[in-house]
Parts: sequence; structure tokens; C-alpha cells
Amino acid sequence: MNTAEFQKSLEKYADVIVKVGINLRKGQNLTISASITDYPLVRAITKSAYASGAKLVTVFYGDDEVFHTRMKMSSHKNLTEVPSWIVPAYTSIVKNGDAYIGITSDNPDLLADVDPEAIAIYRKTMGTKMRKLTQAVMRDAINWCVISYPAEDWAKKVFPKTSAKQAQEKLWEAIFKTCRVDQRDPVAAWEKHIKDLSLRSAYLNKKRYAALHYKAPGTDLTVGLPSQHKWVAARSKSQTGIDFTANLPTEEVFTMPHKDKVDGFVAASRPLVIAGTTVEDFTLTFEKGRVVKVTAKKHEETLRKLIETDEGAARLGEVALVPNSSPISQSGILFYNTLFDENASSHIALGAAYPFTMKDGNKLSQGDFQKRGGNHSIIHTDFMIGSKDMDIDGILVNGKREPLMRKGEWAFNA
Amino acid sequence: MDDQEFNQLLEKYAEVVVKVGLNLRNDQHLSIRGNVDDAPFIRKVAETAYKAGARYVDVLWDDENIKRTRLQHADPETLTTLPDWLYNRYEEYSKRGDAELAILSSNPDLYNGIDSDRIAITRKTLYQKIVEPLRKYNNYANWCVVSTAAPAWAQKVFPNLPEKEAQTKLWDAIFRACRIYTPDPVKAWEEHIQKLDKYKNYLNAKRFASLRYKAPGTDLTIGLPEDHHWGGAQETFKNGITGTVNIPTEEVFTMPHKNKVDGLVTATLPLNNQGVLMEEFSIRFENGRAVNFSAKKGDADLRKLIETDENAGRLGEVALVPNSSPISQSGILFYNTLFDENASCHLALGSAYKSSMQGGVDMTDEEFAARGGNKSLIHVDFMIGSAKMDIDGIQADGTREPLMRNGEWAFSV
Repeated sequence: MNTAEFQKSLEKYADVIVKVGINLRKGQNLTISASITDYPLVRAITKSAYASGAKLVTVFYGDDEVFHTRMKMSSHKNLTEVPSWIVPAYTSIVKNGDAYIGITSDNPDLLADVDPEAIAIYRKTMGTKMRKLTQAVMRDAINWCVISYPAEDWAKKVFPKTSAKQAQEKLWEAIFKTCRVDQRDPVAAWEKHIKDLSLRSAYLNKKRYAALHYKAPGTDLTVGLPSQHKWVAARSKSQTGIDFTANLPTEEVFTMPHKDKVDGFVAASRPLVIAGTTVEDFTLTFEKGRVVKVTAKKHEETLRKLIETDEGAARLGEVALVPNSSPISQSGILFYNTLFDENASSHIALGAAYPFTMKDGNKLSQGDFQKRGGNHSIIHTDFMIGSKDMDIDGILVNGKREPLMRKGEWAFNA
Repeated sequence: MDDQEFNQLLEKYAEVVVKVGLNLRNDQHLSIRGNVDDAPFIRKVAETAYKAGARYVDVLWDDENIKRTRLQHADPETLTTLPDWLYNRYEEYSKRGDAELAILSSNPDLYNGIDSDRIAITRKTLYQKIVEPLRKYNNYANWCVVSTAAPAWAQKVFPNLPEKEAQTKLWDAIFRACRIYTPDPVKAWEEHIQKLDKYKNYLNAKRFASLRYKAPGTDLTIGLPEDHHWGGAQETFKNGITGTVNIPTEEVFTMPHKNKVDGLVTATLPLNNQGVLMEEFSIRFENGRAVNFSAKKGDADLRKLIETDENAGRLGEVALVPNSSPISQSGILFYNTLFDENASCHLALGSAYKSSMQGGVDMTDEEFAARGGNKSLIHVDFMIGSAKMDIDGIQADGTREPLMRNGEWAFSV
């Protein structure tokens, strides 16, 4: 790709993000949070946003290296320090009904040499301080979108055998392809894809399954669903009335498990990056919704700390179906980034459930939400379990079983 | 200079900034404001600060490109919008007495081709919503301003070199000016600061009533307030910390009496103010006010600047710098006030520092103004010194004494 071609693709990517992702309204403010390495994309999005009539674009840049220095050198006490201005700065986004874009480009190994206890303290501090904001976003209070940028360190992790420059180019290519930026009319391509996914979620919503049963090597898991569960795909509607797409790319159809009705064991099919540490080859065993056993070949302690974050961190908050033939899966790339890896594979999430995956969930109090089976936690961490060897059945209230996936592919027509 | 050498120099520079510039205390918070291009240096400063026991380093990253995009493309009616958190952030840090580092490496041509009204609106908004309301916290805490060789700036200083070489050359000039090549830069700074203190003490003891400037295009008399105070490299803040607010610094400075400036002055270097360049300009003062002015380049911008408010056309600072200063001797025109002001005697349009008057920091604005202190939304330095400048100090009884001859100190300390 030459410079002019690349610039054009970058602009198209920015347009998809502004038009399909957040679907920015004229006169809206936009906040972008990104790493300083992501500036070429941040600048392209800013231009596209002003062209769409944005009032003010605010960018919160962070830096992996400065963050790493802090995590490495600060005392545990100092890691609980959060400047007072930050929380109101973010909550004002929700209060004003602004749009929000989060760019992920994290180096998966950034914190590999940092004490897991320090990471846990930091995660818990930020999770608690930002709880209101996270909850509001999870209720779709505003139009928001998470996207990615192929920063050098991340690209090198994905393509370790090539030069940094080549790795970045290859990761760009993968991003442009999976985000349909390589198609002639990316926005139209997205409209069609979103429609296809909506047909799947509509089919599943009609069925009212009581539970799902997963079978694969290392996995035999039954996931009960709340009676009011709601399957969701790609397109959401914000409480401010804007249709938006919260993840680019997205290939999943998902809902929430009942927080007390998960039993059996499950093996992860891809590594999981937790705040700069890559956990590999792990299994979880559940009883009545709770994790009772954890094993991992690498960084088990980090996974354990995550599960111990709070009461809800040991329970599930999301169950998502993705066919193994999804373009991301077919790329054969292991991205070490949830945004991509979760769209390559069926997955489940530890921690909070999205209120919008329960009927009227956005209007329920926290207590009522939990009573109906919705899980609550300051974390929400997806991990991948799907593969070409996975079969999934839907179990109806009367106990009848129907195949949903066979060998990792959809087993029904929507 | 290879990568490893550069890395070591950058570390030494960070050490000078943290130890001499900020004089950061154990357990102090540090706020840094810089541009995304400044990352390599900011990372070193953060590391040095954490090593020195900083409790938290909060970097507010700017992106000049995004500022320009906004001025170009946003609806002009929205340009007075600023997010609330920006002021709240500064207030939180000022109130608590946190250390603050600002990195000043802007592209001098950032706003080239952008309508000067749009620039004026954003400047005024920034002054009204941030700078002015924060003035009450002036002198609360240790702060420091420094520069990095950002690519666009380097390209402006060395337009005939490729970007990478221009950056290397500008880094070299910065390291030289900041004494980073000396075996022990922190010690070199301590010695330099002592020397500046001697000049400052000499001038403070004299209690001059006015200064008289003579050079080609310049014939200017600047009255000084009775209680004026000459400052050198260092300043002591209300949080008890003494720091060096500019790295580099070569100046000894005080405030003019806002109503007692008369005559003509001609700038000897171009003035870069927030991405706008003004060149070859003269200003005539009467009773302290700029009554006549013109610039060969940026005339409209100079007018806008002087008309920002009632007192933007009066002076707030007068600074003495010998023409033999290392920065002047580098022969480089930096297009950056932090460097150019340390190459040359200079004046500033706009606000005076309250610390330039004895007891000034505890005065109300009214008391300060009554004694001759100027107050404005702006404080913009411009250079007037050269190898052809003579300056006399005049005492209340009319006794004259040479302070500078041909741009050099004319007294010894």
C-alpha cells in the first residue's frame, strides 16, 4: 500500500467509525480516548467528525510507557491515587449526551514485568472510580464505539517474525479488511452485515431458550439464561435515541447468562490479555454460576486476581456466539486484543452483564436486575472458547434440545 | 550523536528539569503539559520524577494538528467552547501546590493561513476561561517551562535540512543552551544561577528610577516603580519550594511602571505568538501606552494582539540579557520565546509578574496597579537587544550609570 492509498483507507476507516460506529449527530461533542501512538487515526477521526458537524472534539491521550513507569515505580499506596478532575471529565460525557470513541492499541505484554498485586490495585481503583461511567455506557446512555489502531508494540506481538514496520502494515491490512474498509462502499457493506446479524438475534429471541450447552475438547458447560434475556447484535440504540454500533469490527450475537446457573467446565481457546499480561491455556470450573477452580499454564496469578476483584468477577455476564468461519477467525491471526479475538470465536465474559441484554434491563434498579439473573461487577472481561470443534445446543424450557452450532458453524437458518 | 548517546543526554536534560527547574519534592504531584511529539522527553521526565518520589505524574497530551483542524473546520460560533475539566484540572493542581511542567515546542507556523479572527477568539477564550481565573493561584507552586526539538519547530529553525537532521541540530542547540554537555549539568546550573543572582542583587541595591535604551531604531525611556524588584533565574513559591522557572534562562528582569514608558522601540527578532509570526516591527509609547505601531509582516496580528484588552498595549516586563549569552552566540533564530528571549534584552506587552514588585504577591490587583503594575489578559515577550544597544540606569536624582554597552554588561559584580 503506498502513502496515498493508505491515507485514503485511513480516511475511509475514520468515516466508518464516525458514521456507522457512533453515528455522530450534528452539533454533538465527541470525546476520543487513545494512546499517543494512535495520533494518525485520531487526527483522521477528528477531521471526519468536524466534517459531520461536531461541536468540540476532545482527545484524552495516554501513553503506555509513562503508564508502565508508574506501575513499575509507584508504591501500592500511590497506585490508588486518581486525580479528582478525571471522573467528572468522563461523567460529563454522559451528562451532556456526547459521543465517545475508545481506541485500543495496547501492547499485550506491557505489564508483564509488573507485580500482579500492583495491577490488581490499579484495576480495582479505576474500576471503582469509573463505575458510574461504565454502568452508564453499559446501559447505552450515549452513542459510543470501541475501535483499534495497530500500534507498533501490539503489531510486533501479533507478527513477531517480521520487522516492526512490516508488522504494522500487516496489522493495518487485517484491520481494514475486518472493518470492511477495503470494500468499495464500506458504509453500505456495514449496513448489510448488520442486517444479517439482526436476523440471527431475532431468531434466537423468538426461541426463548432456557439454557445453552457447550461441548468441545476440554469444555462441557451448561449456561442457564434468565427468562427475560435478550439477544443483541451489532446495532444498538442509545438512550439519547441514536442508532450506533458499539464495536468495529463485530461478528457476534450475544446475551447474558443467569448469574447463578452456570455449571461445568470450560477451556479457553485463545490467550487472554488482562491489563498488559497475557494469560495462556486456562480452564475454569463453575458451580451454580461461580468459578470454583482455575488453572492456567501461564500467568495463573493474574487470572486469579481478576476473578477475586469482587463478588461478581467470579460469575459470567455475557455469552456470545460467533461462527468459526467469521472473517476474523479465517484470517488465522491471533490478535491478542479482545475486540478482534472475541469476534473470531464464541466467547463468554467474566463480570458485569450488559443491562440492555435483558428485557427492560436499562430501566431496572441494580437489585431487580440481579434478582432476575443479571450479574454485577466492576469488571467485564471476555475470553474465547469457540473453535471448529465446538458444538452448542439450545435447550428449551421443556428440555428439548436444538442444535445452534455444529463444528463451530451456525446450525440453523435465520 | 547515536541513539545511546542521545538517550543519555535526554536523561541528563530530564534530570536538570526535575532537579534544577522544578526542584520536585518527594511525594509531590507533577502535572506535565506537552505535545504528542514530545513523548521521548516526557517519558524521561516522568521516570526521573517517579525516581525522585513523585506521588503521581499526570500528563496532559496536546495535539497541535487537532487544534489546527478545529480552527479550520469547526463552526466559528463553537470556538468559545472549552470543556469544564480543563480549568478544574489546573485548579485542583494549583490549589494543592503541585509542581507543573509546560513543554513549549510549538510549530511557529501552526496557524498559517487561518483567519486571524478565529485565532483571536480562541486566544481570548483561553485567557478568559483558564489563564485569568487561574491568576489567583500564581506563585502557589513550583513550575517550569522547557522545550523539546519537535519536528515542525526544528524544520522552521533549519528550513534547508531534512526533518531528521533538523531535529538533531535543534536538539544539539537545546542541549548546548541548557548546559547538558557539561560533565555535571546540575552543578553547572547552580554556578550559573549564582552568577545571575549577583547581577540581580546589584541592580536591586541601586533602586534605579528609570532605564534609558539607545540602539538603531530605538530611543526609549522606561520608568520603574519605586518598589520594583529584579528577579534572576530562581523564584520561591508559596509552597516553600525554590525553583528555576525557565530552562534555559540568562535574563535578569523586573517590571516597568505601566504609565511611564516613552519613546520608540524596534524589535530585533521576529515574534512568534501562538502560531502567528510578526516580523520587523516598531512600537511608539507615550505615558506607557503603545500609540503607534507597524510590522512588515503580521501587522494585523500585532494590532489584534495590542488591542486584546485595555492594557495589552502597555509593558509588563523589562529584561536584560547580554549579547554574549550562549544562546545569542549560537547565532540561531529559534522562533521560540523561551530561547529567543534569552538571546536578547527584551520587553513584554501585557501583564507584569507580581513577584517583580516587593511584596507584590500579597497585593490585591488594585494595590498592584496603583503602584505601577500592569494587568492584561496577555504577556508576550519581544526582543529588542543587539550588539548595538546601550542601556543606562538613571537614579531618582538624575545620576546616570551605564548598565550595558554594545549589548554587554557595563558593570562588574
